[in-house]
Parts: sequence; C-alpha cells; structure tokens
Amino acid sequence: MKSGLCVFLAAFIALGLSWCGFVLGPAKQLGTARQAAVLNSSDTYPLQPTGDATLGLQVYRANGCAACHTEQVRQDGVTCEIVLTGAGKNPTAVTNLVSTLKLTGLTKEEADAASDKITAAGGSVETHINPVGRDIARGWGVRRSVAADFLYDYPVQLGSLRAGPDLANVGARLPDANWQLVHLYAPSAVAKNSAMPPFRFLFEVRKIGDAPSPDALQFPKDFPPPSGCEVVPTPEAKQLVAYLLSLKADVPLYEAPFTPVIAKP
Amino acid sequence: MNDEAKTNCTVGTGREPEATRSTVPMGIVVVLFLLLFLGGVYFDHHSGWFNAKVYSPYVSAEQLELYQPKSGAAAALAHGKQVYETVCGICHGVDGMGKPAQAPPLAGSEWVIAGGFHRLAQIPLDGLNGNLQVEGKDWNLNMAPMGAALSDADLAGVLTYIRTSWGNKAGPVTADDVKAIRAAVGGHSAISAAQLSSIPE
Repeated sequence: MKSGLCVFLAAFIALGLSWCGFVLGPAKQLGTARQAAVLNSSDTYPLQPTGDATLGLQVYRANGCAACHTEQVRQDGVTCEIVLTGAGKNPTAVTNLVSTLKLTGLTKEEADAASDKITAAGGSVETHINPVGRDIARGWGVRRSVAADFLYDYPVQLGSLRAGPDLANVGARLPDANWQLVHLYAPSAVAKNSAMPPFRFLFEVRKIGDAPSPDALQFPKDFPPPSGCEVVPTPEAKQLVAYLLSLKADVPLYEAPFTPVIAKP
Repeated sequence: MNDEAKTNCTVGTGREPEATRSTVPMGIVVVLFLLLFLGGVYFDHHSGWFNAKVYSPYVSAEQLELYQPKSGAAAALAHGKQVYETVCGICHGVDGMGKPAQAPPLAGSEWVIAGGFHRLAQIPLDGLNGNLQVEGKDWNLNMAPMGAALSDADLAGVLTYIRTSWGNKAGPVTADDVKAIRAAVGGHSAISAAQLSSIPE
C-alpha cells in the first residue's frame, strides 16, 4: 500500500470524529444529568424508582418487550390557548372583545398579544400551552419524551417498533396493578383483539389452599380462572408491573412545557 | 497445467493501471458548497445549537423560554419559589424545614397554614423578635424585616409558595393583598409574638 499513513489517519479522523459526536458529545451534555424540576412546583422529576421497578426493567428487557413497544412519545407541535378566568369590572366590554379574538391554536406570540388586549380591557386570562401530535392524540402521552424521562433507566428501552402501544406514560394511563397483571397473563381478557402474546410463565396457577392468596389475580367476570384454582404472580411479574406503573411521563418540564389539566375535585 | 498454458496467461501490456491527477469539475464543487450552505441554514433554524434543553418542536433556547408558562397563579407561584429560595431559604431551608436554633420550620407551621394570612404577611414585612411557639416548640427569634427589599409581587409569591408547598394547603395571597397590608401596618419596627397574636387573622 502506497499511502498507508494517509489511509490510517483518514480512518482515525473519521472514526474519531464520529466517536466525538456519538459518544463524547452526548456524555458531556447528558452524562451529568440529574433530577429536573417540575414546572411551577417544588417537586423533582423523575422519582427514584423503587427496587421492584428497577428489577422490573430487567424483566422488561429479558422478555423483549422493547421489540414491540416503544417508550417515546413524539410531539409534532405546540399550540397556545387563552382561557378567560375573570371578566373584571366591565364584563360586557371584555366579552365583546373576547368574541372578536381567536382563542385557540395560537402561537405564543399571538397568545401573549391577545392576552395583553384582554388584560388591558380589565379581564384576567390564563395562557394554556398544549402539545399536539399524533401520539398525543392517541392518548399515549401528554408531552414529548425527553432525556429526563430515562434518567434511571439502564439500559434505556426506547424501542423502535410499535406492534403494541407506546408505554412511555403507561403508569399514568393504566394505573391499576391488577389490570396490568391480568393483561400480562391473558391480554385478551382485558384488551379485546390484543395481539400481545400471553406471558403465562410469569404466573403460577395453583389449587386454592386453606385461604386464597391475597396476591391472586382478580379476573373479569367473562374470564374466570378454572374453578378451585387461582393465578398468582411470580416476583418477576410483580417487578415488571412495578416497572410499568413507574412509567409516568406526565409532568411539565422546562424542556417540554405544557399546562396540566387539573381534574376538578 | 503445462508450460505453454502458463505463458498464455499474460494478457495486455502487463502493467497495472495508475491513477493520474485531474481537476474536479467546477459544477460538483458548486453543488457541494450549495448543499453545505443549505445544511448550515437548516442547522441554524432547527438545531437549537445542540442545547440539551431544546427538543423539537422548539427550535431555539429563546423560543423555549418564550413558551414557559408565565401567566396566572402558576407564574406567581414559580416567582415565589425563586424568591423564597434566594432570600428565605437561607435560614428556613429550601425544604421549608427550618434550621435548629435559627429559623422555625414553615412546613406544617400553624402560622403559615392559618386560614387568614394577615399575621403571616406581617412577619416578612416587619421582622419578628422574641419568643414564638411553632408546632409546639419555643423559638427565640430575631428575624430581620424584608418589607423594604421585596416588592408586593415578590412577597405575594413567597407567601403563596410557602402556603402551598411541602404539604401545606392554604389559600393563595395576591399582590393586592400584600399592598393593602403594607399600607395598613407597614413601617413598624420588628414585632413580637404577643403583638402578632393581637392582629386578626
């Protein structure tokens, strides 16, 4: 080879640059990430997962859940909405003004301008920030996934194929542990037309002894277990469900702001 | 294989082809620079300059900053938290748990979560001297007045923040409320616990 040194240097530089871009850069940027502050709250996010949830991630990994499920919610855009919270001393003027303004689907600049107009007329308003996107419309999340969501996940189970729904926010969407366990044991019992294979080896089917186990699964009426038997989750199943329930990407963060919908008591 | 077949194997001149120099066509150079330029424009508009906080659909740190919630009660609370952590948190603790022999806890304190906020608002406005019982413990206090340093909005935010954080569940305080209290009672020297108790809630 005539120019061995040249080829070596070229290869070294090419690999070195991509190493800097793919390994060094991200490590420098996110390697020291800590819990983030939840917007307008003194809470931090994400919470340190419980021991069961940490082990559950390994069960999730071992069973290849990431082959069919993602943990990343995409967001296509963001819109602002103006909500009138008070009409002030001259309600007629404010109402008339509000009826002439566009109140939804605004950019932040438009929302600020409209909110200034209403405030000047004496009304009080709140500006709501609403993430929009196909995944959000499906109810899979309330905002896009960001690096902070995966702070305690090792390895991160992003997934790339969605044979099943996205699980980034499953702990907030389906918070019932029994539902999760029944769904793992027999997906079709609680989710009709589910394509998920049953994970029965994570459960033990046994004769009811002196008293039924407090851990035994509560099946829906149209899917009773064989009479005299009960289905008890193994530690792995409990850990997996603890992990699934710990997936709650439902708080606003600096990098993904939104206005939470507060449930009226 | 015999000798004749071997000699027949040599084809052509027997020389390896050699690369020679030639100029790159100008068109390709132009196209490459054009692509580089377009890439630069796209990068400038969409990269957020590799800021770790900027994700799509936001394209820059400025735009993300613009979208932070700033109006209404939530913004006042966020402002109050910031003021609390820089001013009050030094003694009372960022967690609101206070510091032994220095400042009483605010989390769960009956003075903080009282139905009315008139007594509470008096404390940062004018300071507090002497003995005060907080959560069943006696404190000998010497708190400096903050009324001159903090605006009505600052104080309203702080009071709202301490009344709604760390498990405290009391009502918010508005800047107008603080303004009224300041006008009515402000400008005192530091008050004592007995004086504090004489103020209606």
